[in-house]
Amino acid sequence: MLETEATLEIQQLVAEFRPGNADLLRALHKVQHRYGYVPKEAMGVIARQLRLGEAHVYGTATFYSELRLTPPPEKRVDWCSGPACRLKGSTHVRKVLESVLGIGMEENTENDKLGLHLAQCNGTCDFAPQIWVDGKVVGPLTAADTVKLARELKDEAK
Amino acid sequence: MAKLTINGKTVEAPDGAPLVEVIKQNGFYVSNLCYIDKLPPYAGCRTCLVEIEGARGLQLSCTTTVRDDMVVNTVTDDVKQARQYVLSVIDANHSDRCLTCHRRVKCMPGDICLRDDSVTHRCLTCSKNYRCELQTTNDLLDMGKDSVEPWAGEERTYYEAAPPEPDRGNPFFEFDPQMCIICTRCVRACDDLRHTGAVTLAGRGFSTAIAFGAGGAIDESNCDFCGSCIDVCPTATLMERPNKWLARTEDWVSTVCNSCSVGCTISVGHRDGKPVIVKPDSLNPFSDDQICVRGRFHYDAVKQSDRLAQHLVRSGDNLQPTTWEEALDYSVEQLAAVHAAHGAKAIAFLGSPIATNEENYLVQRIAREVVGTPHIDFSAGPVNRAVAQATAAAFGTETLPGDLTDIPERAKTILVVADDLEESHNVAALRIKDAIDPRKLPLREPGRLIVITARRGELCDFAEPYGGVWLQPTPGQEAGVLGALASLLADDAEIASAASEAGLDPAVVSAADAGSTGVDGAALEHAAAILREAAAAADEAFALVFAPKSTGVAGVAESAKAAANVALLVSGTAATRSFFVLPTEANVNGALDMGVSPDGDGKDVNGILEAALGGEVKALVVAGDNPIMHLPGRARVQEALAKLDILVVVDQLLGETAQQAHVVIADAPTYGKDGTFANADRRVQRLRAAQAHPGDAKPAWETLSALGTRLAASLGNAVAFAYEEAADVTEEITRTVPGYEKFQFHGYFGWGKGRAVDESAAGQIALQPVAVDAPAPNGEGEVALLTGRTLYTSLEGATLRLADADKLHREDGVLVNQLDAVALGISAGDNVVLQDGAAELSLKATLTADVPQGAVFVSSYYDGGAVGALLPAENGSTAVPRVKLVKQQA
Repeated sequence: MLETEATLEIQQLVAEFRPGNADLLRALHKVQHRYGYVPKEAMGVIARQLRLGEAHVYGTATFYSELRLTPPPEKRVDWCSGPACRLKGSTHVRKVLESVLGIGMEENTENDKLGLHLAQCNGTCDFAPQIWVDGKVVGPLTAADTVKLARELKDEAK
Repeated sequence: MAKLTINGKTVEAPDGAPLVEVIKQNGFYVSNLCYIDKLPPYAGCRTCLVEIEGARGLQLSCTTTVRDDMVVNTVTDDVKQARQYVLSVIDANHSDRCLTCHRRVKCMPGDICLRDDSVTHRCLTCSKNYRCELQTTNDLLDMGKDSVEPWAGEERTYYEAAPPEPDRGNPFFEFDPQMCIICTRCVRACDDLRHTGAVTLAGRGFSTAIAFGAGGAIDESNCDFCGSCIDVCPTATLMERPNKWLARTEDWVSTVCNSCSVGCTISVGHRDGKPVIVKPDSLNPFSDDQICVRGRFHYDAVKQSDRLAQHLVRSGDNLQPTTWEEALDYSVEQLAAVHAAHGAKAIAFLGSPIATNEENYLVQRIAREVVGTPHIDFSAGPVNRAVAQATAAAFGTETLPGDLTDIPERAKTILVVADDLEESHNVAALRIKDAIDPRKLPLREPGRLIVITARRGELCDFAEPYGGVWLQPTPGQEAGVLGALASLLADDAEIASAASEAGLDPAVVSAADAGSTGVDGAALEHAAAILREAAAAADEAFALVFAPKSTGVAGVAESAKAAANVALLVSGTAATRSFFVLPTEANVNGALDMGVSPDGDGKDVNGILEAALGGEVKALVVAGDNPIMHLPGRARVQEALAKLDILVVVDQLLGETAQQAHVVIADAPTYGKDGTFANADRRVQRLRAAQAHPGDAKPAWETLSALGTRLAASLGNAVAFAYEEAADVTEEITRTVPGYEKFQFHGYFGWGKGRAVDESAAGQIALQPVAVDAPAPNGEGEVALLTGRTLYTSLEGATLRLADADKLHREDGVLVNQLDAVALGISAGDNVVLQDGAAELSLKATLTADVPQGAVFVSSYYDGGAVGALLPAENGSTAVPRVKLVKQQA
């Protein structure tokens, strides 16, 4: 394996972890805490440190939705997938968001300025159907509202 | 043993064996889509349900173990219906809708599905049609007949989403995840059968998918392309890329891989006279169900049209086609002329470590009986004879009785002295990993591994984490490390007294120190401690695996002596069975056994070439060998061959030696031959023809016996070469060569089991003094040049110097330590020049941390053995060759 500045930095970050000690998730969390996501090189470094296959690390990282393999967007839009929102037509909201922004769930715009995320109900169902822009609840939304909002978001993210 | 009843038949099976295996072994069918023989059950597919009397409901036969008096029924209506329902759930996520269709046999690949026009992916258009386990399972469970259609009335949602992207970006595997049923066999095969762990389940829930490495392309992961996952895949998800669509074979032929001395037995599927697919064949119990990328894919490294299809004779600067008769007559005439003018000793013969025993036997017969010359050898001869001499002196016999299957089955302590065993002898490395990290049932006690290598290989990762140790000497100091180890062992009072009792003299090996070997003192002490424990536990098996380098006879000889010393100190008289030599090429042991070695005052291959330069040797017959490619000092070899009056080459490919020949007689491809090979532990194995002979090519045994007959007539010798088929030669070998008595060509069923060794032989054991030179420091701008056999470069492709000899292009360059590269301003992909005096080699640099600082590594087969130009001719020195490393100016 080739050692680069990036891998050496990650190597230092995960140096405390040991093979056979159930350290994989701790290592992944630590890397995500530092970089905001788990970079590809990090999986190789963690695998080597913990004497695992790289595939093992990747399989674990993809299993947990908490762990992400792409850089986080500057602005995150969460679409609530909860049943109350669904009943009040959140599917239309989702379709609008995806078509106007041109990205699917768990994807970022090309410049990583805006990202869509599928979220679970947070209990504020009186605002259904709703989305959260950087954690702030926006709703109730009609399809028309969403079009307007999505266009604004898209302009901002240029 | 337990006695149980399966479908009314009483059978016996070991207590605790998995029921599913017992059912299959007794000839009953049981559907199972996730079980892998010998591995712990996964119980993911749930299709192996059976009825067991007294058990509640239906039971999974994979998780059930055999008990006495068990009554099992696999064919009741309940069982069948339950399996059908389970299978219909699996089918629902598979793209091919033909599986459960009763009219599949009526459709043609070009037809549109008459039942549903949205169906675009069908068994009929799938490359695995009629050789697919999922399809067979559906057929055998009558899914079509009983119309168990999971998608009846369904909205065909499968076809609404875009199928996942296939990965066709590498030359060996095709990975098309749309057919995947997530049985995870590939994941477990890669983890548990291969210890590689390149495949994983990614994601969760409905979006779960198979992924390689960190989710990228297969060739970006740590996949070794062994194809174990292909063998276990029940669908067309993972398949061989070469001949993917042709591999519905006409027939299968059981033969032997010729890529290294492990000698994995393989089954070659052929069609239209060409091999199109290779699967492992478990005749050889050491390779068992595994092969490596070479065995599986190198069969088509060279196209049939690039093989020699004509016999050639030199006319001026060109080689012109001729007939077999003329080529033979011309050769005989020229050889007879040399014989008449200069005597028998002006003629020399080279056999080959990749030719069959039969061919090598004939070569030495012609040399000894017809011509009467003592000059017989092969390119790999000097190195391997040096090892054989060292083992003979140490153990009293050259033919070591050790059985390689002891390593995965019993060895508790394993010492590996090899450059990178993973690359040179992949399956041997795999079996060592099996011993260190046992995953197969029944689980054995894990062993410990000591690796001695200057260059990091995958095996090093199996040392420290499993309680072993990796000793990394300065390049060329392997013998020094072994010497220091032996000295540490001899200092132990118990070992010394045991050695004296066994008739050894420990004083021979004492007082060597590790001062200049570059190995860390603590690591060395750790290794010695492990070996002391192994010596103390007399009932535990020890294995020392020694894979000699291909060049540097003097260094190899010292390493072999030093390794034998360590084995003797650890296991005393039992060492004979625990010392394993793995030669690089497939049939080195066969060539040695057949007597392809110089007699008395005869010259070895280097001597022959020296004599050719000096004009003493005027004629050379080369059968299957390629000294220009394999010997160090390339220019000297070429010059020597150019001086010959007559150079006769019998070969399958027009390699560089053949290009210099006066007569080239076309040989059949290795996989088109009948014959026998003897592998590293002298398992005598049978090659069978699976490939047509291109054009006029004739198997070498035919050419050689005709050459022998005619040459004998011309020289007035009454020597007969009366063979009608290769079997006749084998038969003669079994009568004349010691150790081969038990083999017969026809009607013999012990191939892969019998070994040409005397198992009861007890020779005189002895410790030998080892001469170790302190390593010379690198000169200004110099680096140590390491070479070796690598995994991906095909021998045949390299012989023709094909650009695609290494289809992955991982090995066609020089590996440079990344710190050295920084110091010299070399970045990855830069062209660098390696210089040794006038000889120069320009290559692409690959940066790595695996090669030690102050050294570079070039594959010995890169560009037809181009690195041979930089290696000094064999000169009796143990020093590592050094070259200047310069960045090429753009």
